[in-house]
Formats: sequence, C-alpha cells, structure tokens
Amino acid sequence: MKPILLQGHERSITQIKYNREGDLLFTVAKDPIVNVWYSVNGERLGTYMGHTGAVWCVDADWDTKHVLTGSADNSCRLWDCETGKQLALLKTNSAVRTCGFDFGGNIIMFSTDKQMGYQCFVSFFDLRDPSQIDNNEPYMKIPCNDSKITSAVWGPLGECIIAGHESGELNQYSAKLFDSTTLEHQKTFRTERPVNSAALSPNYDHVVLGGGQEAMDVTTTSTRIGKFEARFFHLAFEEEFGRVKGHFGPINSVAFHPDGKSYSSGGEDGYVRIHYFDPQYFEFEFEA
Amino acid sequence: MQDAENVAVPEAAEERAEPGQQQPAAEPPPDEGCCGPRGPALRRRQGQRPLVRRWRSRRPGRSRRARPRESGLGTSAPTAGAQAASEDAGGNEGSAAEAEPRALENGDADEPSFSDPEDFVDDVSEEELLGDVLKDRPQEADGIDSVIVVDNVPQVGPDRLEKLKNVIHKIFSKFGKITNDFYPEEDGKTKGYIFLEYASPAHAVDAVKNADGYKLDKQHTFRVNLFTDFDKYMTISDEWDIPEKQPFKDLGNLRYWLEEAECRDQYSVIFESGDRTSIFWNDVKDPVSIEERARWTETYVRWSPKGTYLATFHQRGIALWGGEKFKQIQRFSHQGVQLIDFSPCERYLVTFSPLMDTQDDPQAIIIWDILTGHKKRGFHCESSAHWPIFKWSHDGKFFARMTLDTLSIYETPSMGLLDKKSLKISGIKDFSWSPGGNIIAFWVPEDKDIPARVTLMQLPTRQEIRVRNLFNVVDCKLHWQKNGDYLCVKVDRTPKGTQGVVTNFEIFRMREKQVPVDVVEMKETIIAFAWEPNGSKFAVLHGEAPRISVSFYHVKNNGKIELIKMFDKQQANTIFWSPQGQFVVLAGLRSMNGALAFVDTSDCTVMNIAEHYMASDVEWDPTGRYVVTSVSWWSHKVDNAYWLWTFQGRLLQKNNKDRFCQLLWRPRPPTLLSQEQIKQIKKDLKKYSKIFEQKDRLSQSKASKELVERRRTMMEDFRKYRKMAQELYMEQKNERLELRGGVDTDELDSNVDDWEEETIEFFVTEEIIPLGNQE
Repeated sequence: MKPILLQGHERSITQIKYNREGDLLFTVAKDPIVNVWYSVNGERLGTYMGHTGAVWCVDADWDTKHVLTGSADNSCRLWDCETGKQLALLKTNSAVRTCGFDFGGNIIMFSTDKQMGYQCFVSFFDLRDPSQIDNNEPYMKIPCNDSKITSAVWGPLGECIIAGHESGELNQYSAKLFDSTTLEHQKTFRTERPVNSAALSPNYDHVVLGGGQEAMDVTTTSTRIGKFEARFFHLAFEEEFGRVKGHFGPINSVAFHPDGKSYSSGGEDGYVRIHYFDPQYFEFEFEA
Repeated sequence: MQDAENVAVPEAAEERAEPGQQQPAAEPPPDEGCCGPRGPALRRRQGQRPLVRRWRSRRPGRSRRARPRESGLGTSAPTAGAQAASEDAGGNEGSAAEAEPRALENGDADEPSFSDPEDFVDDVSEEELLGDVLKDRPQEADGIDSVIVVDNVPQVGPDRLEKLKNVIHKIFSKFGKITNDFYPEEDGKTKGYIFLEYASPAHAVDAVKNADGYKLDKQHTFRVNLFTDFDKYMTISDEWDIPEKQPFKDLGNLRYWLEEAECRDQYSVIFESGDRTSIFWNDVKDPVSIEERARWTETYVRWSPKGTYLATFHQRGIALWGGEKFKQIQRFSHQGVQLIDFSPCERYLVTFSPLMDTQDDPQAIIIWDILTGHKKRGFHCESSAHWPIFKWSHDGKFFARMTLDTLSIYETPSMGLLDKKSLKISGIKDFSWSPGGNIIAFWVPEDKDIPARVTLMQLPTRQEIRVRNLFNVVDCKLHWQKNGDYLCVKVDRTPKGTQGVVTNFEIFRMREKQVPVDVVEMKETIIAFAWEPNGSKFAVLHGEAPRISVSFYHVKNNGKIELIKMFDKQQANTIFWSPQGQFVVLAGLRSMNGALAFVDTSDCTVMNIAEHYMASDVEWDPTGRYVVTSVSWWSHKVDNAYWLWTFQGRLLQKNNKDRFCQLLWRPRPPTLLSQEQIKQIKKDLKKYSKIFEQKDRLSQSKASKELVERRRTMMEDFRKYRKMAQELYMEQKNERLELRGGVDTDELDSNVDDWEEETIEFFVTEEIIPLGNQE
C-alpha cells in the first residue's frame, strides 16, 4: 500500500479527523492553517484561514455542515464547511486545547488551558441560540481546578463529556481502551515507546496506535530507533500483528476511515499520510 | 535468602578485631616465595611491632586525647580520633598529624559545656566505645625487639673471635647500625649463636628477612630470628588441642541443573539498571524464571568456569551462591572488591580491590580457597596491568603473573613460587597458558640486534620446547585454540622496504613433534581473529570499513593452511564461534548497528543475515544450540532487550527488559563422555533426532493449543461485552434519530436517500517520459 502524502502544513500535525462519511479529512497543525482534503486521493479541497496561532483541535459535525477549530491564539472558531466562511469567533482567555460537536451537532464544547493565570474551563454553547455566540456567553462553563484537560470527547449521545487530564492515570507507554458509558478499563496494548494517539477500526477488531520516541528526544535518535511506526493490535487479544513505517517523527494523531478500508496518520514531521490497506489486511485472521 | 550485606557485617568486624587469626598465611614479601623455617605467626609479628613502637615514641598520650569525654567534643570526636589513629597505624603520619590539631581546635571553641556532672558514673567501657582504636593502642616495649639471634655461627676460640666479629659485622651492618653484640662463650669457645642489637626494630626485621639462610660457607648457613620470637614460642602450649570438628554443611547437589530432563540451560539476567537479578531456564517458548532478587549484586555477577557458583559483588566482598535455591555458599570479605577471577578448577578465587593494600600486608589481590573460605595469600598490585593479573594453568595447578622483566609462577596449594624463584625474562611483553597442558607461551620484543622471540616453555620443568625468532615486530598477540592443539601468534610487522604494517599469523602445531610452525601473511588491517573452539579452523576479519571481509582458514594435518572461503562486504567487527565449533556468528556490534551473520563453516554457507539494532553483546549458550544478542543499558540507554536465536539464525524470542544490563549463560562442566561415546552418538544421531522431533512437535502443538485456548476465552469475553454494548446502542436508536432530525446515520449508507450526487473533477497532470532515456 503506497501511502498518499499530504503536504499542507509547515509544522507538526496536532490532530486529524474524518467527517462522518469519510470523504473528507480535516487536518490541523502547529501552523495557523486548517486544511480539508479529499480522503480518496489526497487532493486539498481548501483551507480555513483566520487563526493566528497553532491549532490544537478540529471537529466536524455529523452532516459536515460546520467545522470547529480551537487554537492557541485564544480562540475557538466555527466555520462553514463548504464555503470556508468563518461563522463565529469565540474569544477565550487561554489556548483552546480540545473541541467537539455533540451527537446532534447543536451543542459545541471546548476546553481551555490552564495558562497565563487563567483557569482551565470547559465551555458549552448551543448553536441554536445565536445570542450565546454573539455575546460570547456560554450557557454552561465548568471550571477545572486541579489539572488541565488535555483531551475531551462527547459521550455517545451528547449526555456527557469524557475528559482526560494532564495528571491522568493514563499510562503513557500504553494505550488503554475504556468502556465509554461505564468508564471501565477493558484492554491494554503495550508498546515500548510513548503512545500519542489511538483509533478503533469501525468494522474489524483492530486498534491502531501512533506514537514514537518523544519529540524532544528525536533530534538525538535515528528514525530506526525512534520507532515512529503506526502499530496495529488486535482489540481482544492485545496482540500486535502489523506495523506501518513512514513518518520520521512521532505520530501525533491517527484516525480510521469510517469504512475501515484506510487510515491516516499525522506526525510531528508535519506530514499526513493516508494509507489504504492491502488485500492481505482484510484476509488476515488470528488463529482462534 | 539472606541478604549478603547483612551477613557480611559480623565477619568484617571480627576480622578487624583479630587480624592475626583470620589471615595466618600473610607473608610480607610478596615475591620472595615461602621458604625458610619460620612459622607464619612469627612473620606477622615482624610486620607490626616496629610500627607500633615508633608511633608511640613520637606522639605520647595521643590515644587519650582522642577519647570523647575528655576532649569535650560530643559525638564527632571519636570518629575523628578513630580515623586519625587508624591512619596512623597504617604508617600515614601526615594525615594523623593533621587530624590531631583539628580535634583540639574543636574542643577549644566556645560551645556549651558537654562535661559530665560530677557524680556521673561511666558505664561504658573504653573497649566497647573505641575497641577498634584501642586495638592499635601503643604497647610497652623494652627495646628487645631490636635484638636478633643468629644461629649456625662458626664456633671459634678467642684467637679467631676478632676475625669472626669482623665478618659478622660486615654482613649484618648492611641492615642497620649494630649497637650491641654478644657472643656467648663456653670453655673458651663461642657457642655457635650470637645476639645482635640494632638501633631500631625495623633494622632487625630487615636483617631477619634478608640474612636468614645466608650461606657463610659449606658448613654454616645462618638462621636468623628475632629475639622476641623466642618469647612467643615459649608461651605456646605443649599440648595440642584437637581442632573442633566443623559440622558438615550439606549444600545439596550443586550440579543439580545438569540433571534437568530437557537439558535446558540457565542464564542470569541483570536488569533495572542493576537493581534486579534473575536466573532463568532457557526455553524455546518463553524463559522460565527460577529466582529473582532485588539488589542481589551491587555491580555485576560472574559464573564460575564450570557453572557451580554464581558470584555477586558487594562493597564488603564477594558472595558465592549455588544449589537449587541459590543459597549463599561462601563469602569472601574484601573491601571495595572490583574484579574477580576463578581458577579453572573452581578451587580458588582471586579478588582485586584497590582500597585495601598496605605496605606490610599485601591485600590488593587476594587468593581464596573457595571450599574453606580462607584466605590463601595476598599480593600487592604495583602495576596497572590487564585483569586477570594472575593467569591460571588449565588444571589450576599453577598461576603466573608478569612484572617488569619477570615472570613469576606460583604453585597450588602452597601458593609459593615454583622452585622458589621467578623467571628473569628481560622485556617480557605478554604471556599465556596453554588451555590444553602446562605450557606457557610468552614473547619479548626486539632489543637492538636481538630479534623478537616467542617461547614455549614446559612447566614445571621450565624446559623451552620451542623458540621462534621474529623480525621487525611491532606487536604480538597470543591466541590459543581452546583445546591447546594450536597456538596462533598474530605478529604485526613492518618489513624493511615496505610501508605500513603486515600481519603474520604464525601457527604452532602443538601436538606434533618439535612444534612445527606455519605462517599466513595478510597485508590488510586485521579487525578480529578467532579459533574454532573444537577444531582446526580459524576466522579472520580484515580490511577497512566499509570493505570488511571475513576469511576462514583450515589447518590441515600436513600443516598446510588452506583458505576455505572468503566473504567480502561484511558488516562485522567481532567473531563469535559456537562453543562446539562449526558455526559462527559474525557481529557488527555497537557502531555497526548490530548486523549479524550466521555462518556454517562446514560448507561455508551463510545461513542467515539478520540485525539486532544497536546490539552490544553476543553470547552463545554452552551447548552451542542458542545465541543471545543483547542491547545493554550499560552501553545504550534505549531498547534494552535480549533476543534469543537458534544457531542457524532463526529468531525465537525478543525479551524486552527494563534497563536490561547483562545476560550470562551458566557454563557447563566438561562432558564426561569419552571420545568414542561422542562418536557413537553422532553416528546414531538420526535415531535421537526422531525422538527429539516428536517431542518438539508435541510441545509445539501444546503451546499453540494453549495460545488458541487463551485467545478463544478472550474472544468469548469480548463478544459478551460487545453484545451488551450493542444492545445498549440499539436501545438508544430512537434518541439518536431524534437528535439528528430523523436522519438514520447508524450505517454509512443508511441515509442513502438523502445523498446528493456530486461529481468531483481532479486535475491529473500528464507527463510523458520517453522510456529509452531512462537507462
């Protein structure tokens, strides 16, 4: 499988995300550009220009009408997906670390960093009420006193959010799978390098982990030793069955295409790679 | 399971208190050999006495001042005092002098009074408080320790007395000023023994050391003793007490691991940067842990040459472990021990510590008896030579060391010099024992017109069985084949009229009459050389990176050395032969990224090329069935792991261990089978291999069954869990529909009716490249 190389960022990739159908791929990096690509061939569809700092997070709603981005320029922006028009600019006091639409696409959530003397907050806006955005007044704001949120996702039906904290028990060297409603620990996948991102296959019992030697150590290690590989594990057996090489820096974000036939990875090296699986991938089966 | 350190404490303390009992065999002159009639206890006395006295006369009353209560210093005083005193006893006067004023100064400073109340009764005895200092307390001396007694002096009448006195004076004034002499007489003739007094006890000791055994003439050989020794031997009781019988300690079968049904081998692993040490059974599937202990050793471990003992290193000394449960078998107290070496027979242990040496009590290198745990002999270590400083003969009967222009060979169990004298070999550069017989090989470099020389010497007869002269020699390296069948002397030469270094391999055929020598010359740089352990082949790595080649040579019976095969473009810097011969691993360690080549030298095929990235070590198991490559934390900080390969280069296991440091296979003792039996087994190999193959198949199917079984249960659990989750998901279907305005998005194509056809045009750049130009 020859990967498609997306070269649209000048800095390391921070997050990549497919839309629900999987025809589009959104990528953000530590440069202010938000890119959207056709996942089928890697052609760039367009950019969302406006941010003035590193963009940490991106999300698209279920019908791909809106795109939400959060940036270190202390803003969270809402875009029209099709035209690239900026629909809303939500100013914050510190960098926006993570953002997301709820299941219905009506409520947006973002968290801000504990930074420059400001608290870490999770803010909620209802897009159906334009006054909230106009006044930059969320209908709900949850302060987070102890340690900052590094990652947050909505629960299955938008009834809650699940947040990972900086002080979290998440073992850096392994990816763990949790039940999203009960938050029970299910599986652990062990690697010998830090893991930055993980994604579940939508139709196979597979999980892909992306990571590698810490970015700060990378200049002192060769790519072979850094192990900047995407690693595939069986979800139930916790056994590794494949690796994909290519990045020359740690992988910061991985995502499965919703049809499970391809996956993408974005790395510290600034590249996004779309990989379509070989037939062998689909034939492979564990003896059980 | 005792902690070695805890156990070592009482012994060390005991030793300090009674040094005379613990080390009876200490001999003051290390290179003198153990001749002469004097008993060991006597020598100790000579070594100590004079020092103590000198100390006393220069600094009267010192020890009193160092006592804590009088100095008014509280707790810091005893330590300062103890330190000063012990240093002083060692002869280091400078530091003692410094320590004393410091103690006084502190006492004078304005501090709250620590004085005892008047009615204070001291209930701690001085012995308890500073036993270690008091041990060195000055003792009263009356000067008799400057007196020596000389026996076997000619008996002469008054007429010749003056002449005798002159002769005696001439001999004995060499050691110091004689202040007094006395020639007892009987019936007008001297009695044949005399007394001499020196100005200082040190002179007396010197005289005893050097004049004892002096041959005046044929009839008269002087026997010289210290006068004080007579005192000592007079007080020895005439009755001999039967030594108490030591209870027999049953250590179990120390070779139990050889009886393992599967003939598996053991290995030790140090990991977590040295904090933990484990012993494993090597198994094709997964290593089986036998024993794991935290802080078992402070630095590293060593196996004894036959695998009986595991030695661990501690600040206080060495501990040996063995038996089924790895219990402590023996310990050797040697402060600050850094290096050890076993004799090949596992009877003796040589330890080296840079801390302990003193002038009159050599303790830098100590040879111990492993069975009794007693110190056999101590040595000084003057030169910084390569370890092992003492090299053992193959049977452990002799050991030798090299000093400037001297080769000293000692014999066991007496630990004395063989034939009481060392060999004078001016310019000796290196020596080596044959692993197959008591033959020593050494070489001396060129000296003006005398050519460089390699000599083979038979011991203990000291007969030179072969001498080979060499010219224009830069350096020599001695390589013995493991059985001692061949010796290869790698000679780096700069022949006249040529530039650069040429290397000659001088092959000595030891098993043939007159030891014939054949030469292989190589013009390239030699990176490594190694003999096949049980055979007549050798491998050489030569060339300059990146153009490195490996050559395999065969020494034929008629002496012809044949090049069997040369492989070029190798990525290797080290040669590792299988202990059974035939197979060899060429490894490019460290800077060469851990490239590995597995070669079968019977037909010279490369069985496999592999890589263990950044590998720092390669270890064959003692049977030659497996190879371990490892990345040690000591040389590289990431990816510390050891990988197990078959001898053919098939990777069996990757064992990642956190901060893995070292893996050592447990050696096996030599086989008890005779050559015929081995031949017979080789002949019947087909029969055995059938049995083994069946066994392998059984265990393999068992293993895969286990794995499949495990996966099945995991999958079962997972399915249950997923079913539960799916049910929940289905329950929420209506809610989902509601949230997305009635659009069903559960499947990718479930809302296909809402889809809009969209045609996207992609730009395709066309470029025509004429094919012909590509080549």
